[in-house]
Amino acid sequence: MTANEIEKKLLKLAKSVQNDKRASVKFSARVMTRVREQHALETSSADERFLKFARNLPGNEHVPYAFEKRIMARIRELLTPDPLAFWSRMLWRAVAPCFGVMILAALFSAKEPTAAFIDQAAFDPAETTTETVDPESTDFETVMLASFDDLEYTW
Amino acid sequence: MQATETFPETDVRTDEELVGIVVGGDVDCFEELITRYQPRVFGMARKYFRNESDAEDVVQTIFTKTFQKLSSYKGTAPFEHWFMRLSVNACYDALRRKRNRPEHTISDMLFDDESWQDRLGNIPDASDRVGLEEARELVYTVLDQVSARARIVLTLQELEGRTIKEIAEITGWSESLVKVQAFRARKEMRAAVERFLSREKRIVT
Repeated sequence: MTANEIEKKLLKLAKSVQNDKRASVKFSARVMTRVREQHALETSSADERFLKFARNLPGNEHVPYAFEKRIMARIRELLTPDPLAFWSRMLWRAVAPCFGVMILAALFSAKEPTAAFIDQAAFDPAETTTETVDPESTDFETVMLASFDDLEYTW
Repeated sequence: MQATETFPETDVRTDEELVGIVVGGDVDCFEELITRYQPRVFGMARKYFRNESDAEDVVQTIFTKTFQKLSSYKGTAPFEHWFMRLSVNACYDALRRKRNRPEHTISDMLFDDESWQDRLGNIPDASDRVGLEEARELVYTVLDQVSARARIVLTLQELEGRTIKEIAEITGWSESLVKVQAFRARKEMRAAVERFLSREKRIVT
């Protein structure tokens, strides 16, 4: 017997019952089901209902066409050495040591004249009053300006 | 004489074997690992990012990072665990970067035809593509309101049903930190849902 036939039979049976004797079981059951549903809906909090909703949504695991090829191409690109990137990386790495050397050089150049001056004063106090001229610097000046001295004669 | 059938030798290599080969220098074998894991990674990325191009970017980052860090895989734990941990962390980083530019607001997701509450009661069929899209949009819009950490915890705990211990292993956080984060995440989500409902009520009245 199919479900349709059962339904028809039940309907026929229900119609055969006199109006005053009809029990409202079906109606009350229907109402109660609705009431229970409504009650369940009201008692569970909104965030719980939201989580249940989100949990029951089917996931989407679709993969775009030839996506693995795209990633492999990217990886192979990463494997090929880029000279420009290598150069810039080296430059960045050299920043800190160069900065250190610069600071050290600045410190030495700032300290050196005072140290020389103190040493000189300790050994030869008479020299401190007169202007000291480094013979090496005068030689250097003569050598550098030699060509200009010649120019004077040509004029 | 008994006929002997020759069966082809099973050429299914384990993840750990493949990792060993790739680390050994055969880069092409990494493609097999990608093919094996990409549906799962896409499924995971789409839980966090509504935009398809964002999901693709994250998946690409995950596989590139995996390749770069492959030599650090010691083999003490299954590759799958190591890989999923790396994937979740990559999603978390991407979410944090994306936090400052939300794409949709709550007002965008208020429907004219049906109330939000009614929508939560009806999960669309798998065949109803439009309905599914709308449902996903709704979930994204609410989850976009919470912080990146809260979203990671909510997704792992509430949507994927993972335990505190599993989440701690995946994220690298302590179990007590996961518990605290889970509590805060629920609080943030509740606030987001309430904001949604109050806006809807305001519009109806």
